[in-house]
Amino acid sequence: MIMDERDETIERAAEALSALAPLKGGAVARVLLAVRAARARRAPVWLRVSWWMQDTSVSARAAGLMVAASLAVGFVLRGAVASDENIRLARTGGGIVALQPVANAPAEPQAVPVSMVFDLANARSVAVVGDFNGWDPSAAPMKRIGGTGPWSATVVARPGRHTYAFLVDGTMLVADPLAPRAGNPDFGGDASVMMVRTP
Amino acid sequence: MNARFGLTVRAVAVACIVAGTAAAQEPRLLAIRDDATRELVRTFVEAARGRGTPTEPLISKALQGVAFKADAKRIEQALVRLDKHLRRSRELLGAQATTDEVAAGAEALGNGVPDGALRDLRRTADRRPAALRRPITVEIGVLTELVAKGVSPGKAGEMVRQLMARGATGTQLTELNAAVQQDVALGVSPAAALELRGKGVMSLLPPPISAAAAQRVP
Amino acid sequence: MGGSRGNLTQYPVAHRVSVSEFDSSLPIRAKHGDEQAFIRIVEFYYPRCMRFARNMLGSEQDAEEAVQDAFVRVYDSFPRFREDARFDPWLFRILANRCRSLLARNERRRAVIEYGDVPHGAADSEAGADWAEEVRVVLESLPAEQREAFLLRHVEDMSYEDIAAMTGAGLSALRMRVKRACDALRARLTEVSRDHG
Repeated sequence: MIMDERDETIERAAEALSALAPLKGGAVARVLLAVRAARARRAPVWLRVSWWMQDTSVSARAAGLMVAASLAVGFVLRGAVASDENIRLARTGGGIVALQPVANAPAEPQAVPVSMVFDLANARSVAVVGDFNGWDPSAAPMKRIGGTGPWSATVVARPGRHTYAFLVDGTMLVADPLAPRAGNPDFGGDASVMMVRTP
Repeated sequence: MNARFGLTVRAVAVACIVAGTAAAQEPRLLAIRDDATRELVRTFVEAARGRGTPTEPLISKALQGVAFKADAKRIEQALVRLDKHLRRSRELLGAQATTDEVAAGAEALGNGVPDGALRDLRRTADRRPAALRRPITVEIGVLTELVAKGVSPGKAGEMVRQLMARGATGTQLTELNAAVQQDVALGVSPAAALELRGKGVMSLLPPPISAAAAQRVP
Repeated sequence: MGGSRGNLTQYPVAHRVSVSEFDSSLPIRAKHGDEQAFIRIVEFYYPRCMRFARNMLGSEQDAEEAVQDAFVRVYDSFPRFREDARFDPWLFRILANRCRSLLARNERRRAVIEYGDVPHGAADSEAGADWAEEVRVVLESLPAEQREAFLLRHVEDMSYEDIAAMTGAGLSALRMRVKRACDALRARLTEVSRDHG
């Protein structure tokens, strides 16, 4: 019988090799990308679709059911995407998490309207972009007050700290000269901060 | 059923599947022109969804990158940082934290607010009487802004915590922040401005209220 | 392998993950197409897989490649995963296979590129690096199957039965591999301890 007694030397050696690195940011995303890439390489969607389109043995009833099912899947998934934010996390240790709905969590306060004014005479168009509207250039276009005055728009934002900027002529981001500046270590450039109070 | 009819029905079904799938995905990500970056953002979002951390800040951060014309590498780096801070924020603020609180906590961590300060805010909020409990997104935002503008994280955290413990409202805290920013713009040191303005707010607040006392209130 | 040891990151805090923390329904859910379950499996096992792969391959970059490949294969192989089987040995069998493939690839490259070079391990040993580094040097000098058996037994805390099922080796052969690895570690580390007083 061969023994591999774990004496002090082996214990220390094993300990030296047992350090776990913390999960690196992006590691899981990279694995998922690799999985998807491998899956896409093996089974291109167009091949499956063309195969299914050529098969005429499916009945009209079955096809109708597929139409209904596919629409339902789309809406259910859409609903799932929208409702995920209501799910809370319970940490069970060691990096694994369990998801569960939380009944007693305080509700998010309602978004409140915030009026913004920006004076730039020569601009052809101005829009407010910020984290409250997903930096979407089409979400909050500004209009000139009285046709020729300063630019104005009302956005809605939930209470808290928000960063934003003005998008001038669809190309140039300009910080609000009337608001504190926001550091933007991620992307550089100018942005501003606003604090929205609880209504 | 003739073959042509069957083919037509299937074509409609394929269109519906495609439309259904597109609806299930986040349409705003279509603003990201580069396919690889868009897919990367989607995987970050799905991983966050799987963990139960908020997904909206990740989408917003990626779109902010697009707005600032950042390249794919910078967007990825920003998402990696934010993803890490969202997880940590969730740990520090607890399972009951709202989505906005977790997002605000992540921003706070990204701006140099230490872990302990966030944890203290949550504990202070949890000691409030049940009837007075509300999300602390504004409090976290004020702390973030104070630290971002040069107040030492320790002093800023302690002041916000004390004011919360005395029952300061979100409005009082945002006014404190605005006043400190004005003072700093006029040349007052951030620490002195915070102390001065903090004492001003404190003087307006009632003595500390305990949970037991609050429960006796009819 | 020695040449890539510069990429190794030292993590000061030793930590072991208890298997009891793992939700054993996740692999079954992942097998049935639940992508969120798969994400959580990756999040849970990634650090452990990286530890094993880094110890096997001696390079952070190679380890990342091996772990990523392993998870891709796990995902592909889920239809063949038996629902009554334990997940750990199954995952580590796939990972160990990926590590072996990468080692073979690296060996072929080294044979072409570095033929005639002085082995790095020997030079590092003479330099008398710190104790943990010595452990790695000895580990890298072991034949791959001994290194693998030692890591699975003493670092990943697996039973000989599980390792046998994973690797296809007999129990006696495995015990011999672990013993030889332990002997080599003891011989070198005792010497280092004596040298450092």
